[in-house]
This record gives sequence, C-alpha cells and structure tokens, in this order.
Amino acid sequence: MFRGRFARILMVAVVLLLALSVVQCGPKPKEAKPVVLNMNLGGEPPTLDPALATDTTSVFCDKQLFLGLTAFEKDTPNVIPELATEWSVSDDGLVWTFKMRDDVKWVNYNPETKEVKEVGPVTAHDVVYGVKRTIDPETASDYAYVLYIIKGAEAANTGEGSLDDVGVRAVDDYTVEFTLENPAGYFAAIAGMWVARPQPKAAIEEHGEKWTEPGNIVTNGPYMLESWEHEASMVMVKNPKYYDADNVQIDRIEMVMVQEDFTEMAMYENNELDVTGGDAGWGPPLEDMDRIKADPVLSKELKIEPRLCTYYYGFINTKPPFDNHLVRKAFSAAIDRQSLIDNVLKGEQIPAKHFACPGIFGAPPVDEVGIEYNPEQAKKWLEEAGYPNGEGFPEVTLMHNVSEAHAKIAQAITAMWKETLGVDVKIETQEWKVYLQTLKKDTPVEDVPHIFRLGWCADYPDENNWVHEVFNVNAGANRVRRGCVDPNCQEVKPSKFDEITEQAGREQDPEKRKELYREAERLLIEEETAIAPIYHYTRITMTKPWVTERYSAALGGDPIKDWRIDVEAKAAAKGE
Amino acid sequence: MTRYIIRRILFFIPVLFIITLITFITMRTIPGGPFDFVGDKSLPPSVVANLEAKYHLDDPLWKQFVDYLWGVVRLDFGPSYRQRGRSVNDIISGTLVTSAQLGAVSLFLSILIGLPTGILAALKQNSIVDYLSTFIAVVGRSVPSIVMGPLLMWIFALQLGLFPTSGWGRPIQVVLPAVTLGAYFSAYIARLTRASLLQVVREDYIRTARAKGLTERAVIVGHALKNSLIPVVTIMGPIFAGVLTGTFVVEQIFAIPGMGKHFVQSVNNRDYPVVMATTLIFALAIAMANLLVDITYAFLDPRIRYE
Repeated sequence: MFRGRFARILMVAVVLLLALSVVQCGPKPKEAKPVVLNMNLGGEPPTLDPALATDTTSVFCDKQLFLGLTAFEKDTPNVIPELATEWSVSDDGLVWTFKMRDDVKWVNYNPETKEVKEVGPVTAHDVVYGVKRTIDPETASDYAYVLYIIKGAEAANTGEGSLDDVGVRAVDDYTVEFTLENPAGYFAAIAGMWVARPQPKAAIEEHGEKWTEPGNIVTNGPYMLESWEHEASMVMVKNPKYYDADNVQIDRIEMVMVQEDFTEMAMYENNELDVTGGDAGWGPPLEDMDRIKADPVLSKELKIEPRLCTYYYGFINTKPPFDNHLVRKAFSAAIDRQSLIDNVLKGEQIPAKHFACPGIFGAPPVDEVGIEYNPEQAKKWLEEAGYPNGEGFPEVTLMHNVSEAHAKIAQAITAMWKETLGVDVKIETQEWKVYLQTLKKDTPVEDVPHIFRLGWCADYPDENNWVHEVFNVNAGANRVRRGCVDPNCQEVKPSKFDEITEQAGREQDPEKRKELYREAERLLIEEETAIAPIYHYTRITMTKPWVTERYSAALGGDPIKDWRIDVEAKAAAKGE
Repeated sequence: MTRYIIRRILFFIPVLFIITLITFITMRTIPGGPFDFVGDKSLPPSVVANLEAKYHLDDPLWKQFVDYLWGVVRLDFGPSYRQRGRSVNDIISGTLVTSAQLGAVSLFLSILIGLPTGILAALKQNSIVDYLSTFIAVVGRSVPSIVMGPLLMWIFALQLGLFPTSGWGRPIQVVLPAVTLGAYFSAYIARLTRASLLQVVREDYIRTARAKGLTERAVIVGHALKNSLIPVVTIMGPIFAGVLTGTFVVEQIFAIPGMGKHFVQSVNNRDYPVVMATTLIFALAIAMANLLVDITYAFLDPRIRYE
C-alpha cells in the first residue's frame, strides 16, 4: 500500500517535471550578433491597434510600428514632418493640406520564415481610411473624440452623420486634406497622433480583431512585430524597407512586461535591462532614490527631466466655504511646494504656479503668472474671508484616490494648512473608479469633498488641451464646478475665462494665442483660484552607459530608431 | 463511490450559477463602469455609448446575464474590455496554464519539505530537531511572500547570480518563485502534520498496535501517519485551488504571466467578463479540490465511506 502511494507521488513528480520542460525557451536569433535593446514595457499593452490605443504602453509600441503625418522633435514638443513632407493651412485656418512622402511601404513580417513582404505604398487613401476607421462608431475608439475637431467627425461618431461627410479626403495619392470644424492652431500635432495614422485596410479586413498579432500585422514604421507573448514579452525587429533604415542602429527591441518597479530595478542592476523609466517601464522605486543618488555608479545613470503633466488640488467652487475665492487663494498660497518636493516626492519635480507645464505652447513663462507659497499672504486672505487664524472655519474634506503616494502628499499638505492657516482638513480616500464617479460635476454637492486631487498630462502640447479642455464650463469636465449657477451645477454661466479659451482656440496668430492663454491662466489661478496647482511631474529614468543616445518624446512614444548602443561595451558588461 | 462523485459534480451546477449571479450583480452595483474614463480623463457620452453598444452593455441587465450564461454554457467567456481584441478565453488559457505550473511545482515542493519536517518534529517531540523545525516553520509562515520574494531575488539572483531575477519560460526561472510560495505552505503543512501526528499517536489503536508487538516504524508508518494526514489533506484543498489559479504577489514580483493579477486588475478596470471568468474558475477549482479532498478521506480513514 505504502509502496504504491510512494510510486504514485513519484509519478506526479515526473509528470510535473515533464510539464516544466514543455515550457519552451523564447526564440533566439540565429544571425551574427544583432544590436539588441533590452527594456521593460511595464505591462501588457492593451492593444497595438492605433485606432484603439489610449495608454502610454500601447502608444509607445505604435510609435515604433506606425508612422504619423507629423511627429515631435527629439526632446521638445515641436511638431516636425514624418510621413508628411510639408503642410499648408488655408487663410481661414479651416483647410489643412499635407503633402506626403512617396517612398514609404507597408510591410508584413513572417516570424517563422523571417521574411519581410512588401504589401504596397503608404498613400493618402490609407490616411483617410485610418481617420475614418477611428471615427466609425463600429470601431468604438475611446480617443475618437480627439478627432472631433475634423468637420463632421462628431456627427459620424455619434451616428448622426455619415462617414462620407467627414472632412478628410485624398486629393491625390500623396496629398491628404483635412477640413476642420473650427480653426485650430494645434492641428499639426493632432494629425500625427496614433488615432490619425494610416491603417492597413486589407490586413484589418482579412484578420478582424486579430490583425495586430505577429504574422498578421502590416506596419510601416522603423520596426516590425516579431513576437508577442501576451503578458510576458514582445520582440520587435528592424524594418529593412523603412525609408530611413540606414540610420536605424538597433536591430532588435526585446521587451519584457514587468509590473513591479522593484523587480525592474533588480533586472536593471543585473544588466538584464539597458534602460528603465519613461517609456521603458516604471523607473526606479521611490524607496531606492536615496540609495541611487548616493551610489557613485548608479547616480550617473540616473536622469531626471520634466514631463508634461501637472499635479493639482481642485476646489469645489460651489461648496462653502470654498465658494469664497479668498478661501481658495489662502489654501493655495499656504502650500509650500518646494518643501513637499524636497521632503516627500524626492524626484526633483518643479513647483507649479499655474496649470500648464513649461513646454506647452501657450503656457505662461515660469514666475510670471500664478500663485506661489506665501504664508503671510495666505493668512491675510483667510482673515479677509472672515476666518482670522482659522477661527470658525468649518471642518472640510480633502479626498484622493487610494494610493500610498497620494496619501503622503495629502498628509504633508494638510499639515501645512494646519500650521499656516490653523484649519483642520480631514482626509478621505476612495477606489479610483468610484472616486472619478464622485468627482463628476453633477454629483450632489453634499457627496463631494471640498478639495480633491487630480493630475493632467498633455495629449498634445498646446494650452487648448489644458485650460480649455479641462476647465472651460462648456468644453471641459469642469469637476471644480467653475461658473455654476447652482451648487449641483445644473446650469452654467460662462465668464471671461471661458470666452478667452474659446477665442484662443480659433485665433491663428501664435503671439496673440499666447497672450490669450496667459490671461486665461491668470484668471483661472490668480483671480478665481479654481485650483491649486502643486507640481509638474518629472520623468525619472536610468540608462546604462552603453546606451549612448536615448531620446524621449515629449508626450511619450520614445523613438527607438534614434537611439544608439555601444555594442562592445554592452557585451563586455554582460561578460559575453 | 462513483454515484457519490457524480452527485457531487452535478451539485456544482447550482453552486456555480449562484456564484455567477452574485458576481454579476455585485460588479454592476459598484460605482464606475469599464468605459467612463481613460486615465484621469472622462470620455464624452457619445464615445461611451459606442463602446457600450459594441459590448452590448446597453442591453437590459437580465438579457446581458442570460447572454452571458449562454456563452458560459458554450465555454465562451466573451471579450475583454481592457485588452481590446483579446477574448477572455485567450487570456485565461494563456495564464491559467502558467499559474497551474507554478502552483503545482510549489505545492509539490511544500509537501516534499513540509510533511517530513512535521513528522520528524513530532517523532522527536521537544528535542532540538523539534524546536528548530518549529522555529523555521514559524519564520516561514510569518514572512510574507512580498518580503520573501525580493529577499530570495536579492540573495540568489543579484548577489550570487545563480538564478535569473524574474521571467518565465525556462525551468530555472521556476525555482525562486516556487520556493517563495512553497516556503510559506511547507511551513503550514509542517506545523499541521506535527500537531496532528502528536494527537494520533495517543489514540487507542496506536496503543493496540504497540501492544501487539509491532516495531515503532510499522506503528508510525503503517498506522499513525495515514490518519494524521486527514487535517493536512483538508487544508490542501483550498491551498491547491488557490495556488493553481495564480497568486497575485508572487507572480507580480517575479513577472510571471499568470492568472493571479487578473483577479485584482480586472476589478480595478471593471473588466466585467474577466472578473466573471476568474471568479468562476476559482469557484470551480475550490469545488473540485474539496471533492478530491473528500475522496481522499475515504482512502486515508477506513471508517469514512460514501454512499
């Protein structure tokens, strides 16, 4: 009996070992020493379909695979040509015409045979198809609304109009023309976004939702998809038919999908990853920052640079006592942003005085507009509001979504308010999706907190995407309930700020637009003080010395085609 | 026995139905839907409407539920809302195998270490062996995976360079996560085996066995051990179901493409079909494991018979 059971246990062991041996190794390249970049994606990209991408991981992958009409210049938010060679705008600002390169090919890569098949030229018709597919309600694209600036796009996307009436057409094979609803000085950036990129009609129609799988996918960018082990790894290989292939050095991008920043850091230190942070995963964990800065080697590999995002506290402008702008001003001026950055955040963030970050077109010059830390002035404002030294100030609530990082910030800031203003602020938290529901501008005012935290990152580097799309009473989510006639915001009354952001979107003259946005920021932050901007984010990255050139795109989508690796140095470090 | 097993399996159906119904209702009751927001940004109602139409979320709730059940009957768990273009079947089939492999190895490891340690500790009660194994077991039980995993990674991958830090696909990559998981459960099994064996050796039939002159070895191996395994087998059921369907923390730390993270992330994303599928699979695993446990009882204890 015992013997029999023992034999069975042994058998189970053997079966287990067999099961393990079935787990196969990833494909290994046979060619002589390709240049390989090892990086972390940070997680599974939810999609590779440019019409459906919304998150930074998918956008990064799409950047390597699909070209847009325009792109961003290395390290700056300036728009440069990519598929387009040049573009022009009609005098009324409504018609944009893009001339395209005629040497870009669609390719299909067969991972089994390693064969690269040319499928045909990338033409203006592919741009038209891509734009219309994104707008098609059947596609159900989250970001379709970004294209609502194109004439007829909103109507078609809501099913009220026809796709045939959307304002995009191929003038000839290599000229595409967009007609807009309103003049939009920022349209060149929109035209390069993933949702507006040319898409391969034949492949999409042949494979349906599986068209982005290796072997099926047809792309036109500097890289091609070789493998996608879902939730584990992805490999891209250089596209030999790419028009500028001679200037692409890295042959293979080997990506893992590690979701833990600690693990990513360990892999980096073990030379399993060449880079971390930015588009390459999470970047060093906060707990490791002090160690990294003190380490003679690691500190040299650390780089901190600005990122186009702002962290802010919003006030519910209709909820007493925050319906008084003096109270809001006092709360904003009592936040010592630099101290928060030095003691809590430790990532060399930039103290924010106004909403849009430096680098956004139309963002006022640093130090000119906004509110900064000024405890004396804060006390004075609170006194003017009728609460000298915080006396008689009711208990108010600050809410943030559940997160250790937000909790640390909230504790630090409520302590500053207590110290400077003498007021008690209660902190509450909610799970992310519940939190966003709570903050909707039509939630009954008694259910919303007085103050909430949110962040905003640029979709395209223009103030329109900031002051207008976030806070305009008609166009934005307006969670702060600016200009609301009643506390629950059933009705809104536009003010000068709202007129200005609308006017600035239509204005053609860049200098005048800058002026208008500067005034809008002044009204939003100094006059109304609808929000308290806190800091502008930074991108914290680590780069091994053998990655000799690394560029970040201002809005994500790092162009790996422009990166360079010192192959010998890498091999030496890895002991190969 | 066969009739008993068939009856038990048939009983799975109403249990799984009720679990499906409760999960369905719970998910729809908690605030926030799958498509309200992208990051911090709320989507325009028109875009949300397109998405809801695509995934039939604009149908009446009862119809959505019936459609879902019909899908489950055909083993079609629907599309994922988050991973566009992938079906829940794709996601589960890819990750469940991985989780089950890791789970099986670590379970095997924990039995291999836990059982002998527990037996040894019980036989040498109050000796140095007993104290030492109890101490190790307490440590193993009290150090959570979130500490044990990084610790093992730091020692064996970063400092000694014996194993890769993370990843999946090569047998060597199984070692650290399996040990992390296995350490925890082997400690559990060791303590339980020790306690149970100590109790059994005081039973009357053990005295009888000794009285009829059997060797100590025959008494322990032939009589005591088998019965002392009943509590161990009882806890093995839920452990088995738990590790086989994936463990969030260990899979996260070692970047293993298993099913564990879907239990957590699908709820955060309100990815209803994935929530439903993971819950169902976990429930099924628990039900099956408990059935196995009950069947095992019959082999371990001759007094237990199922009609």
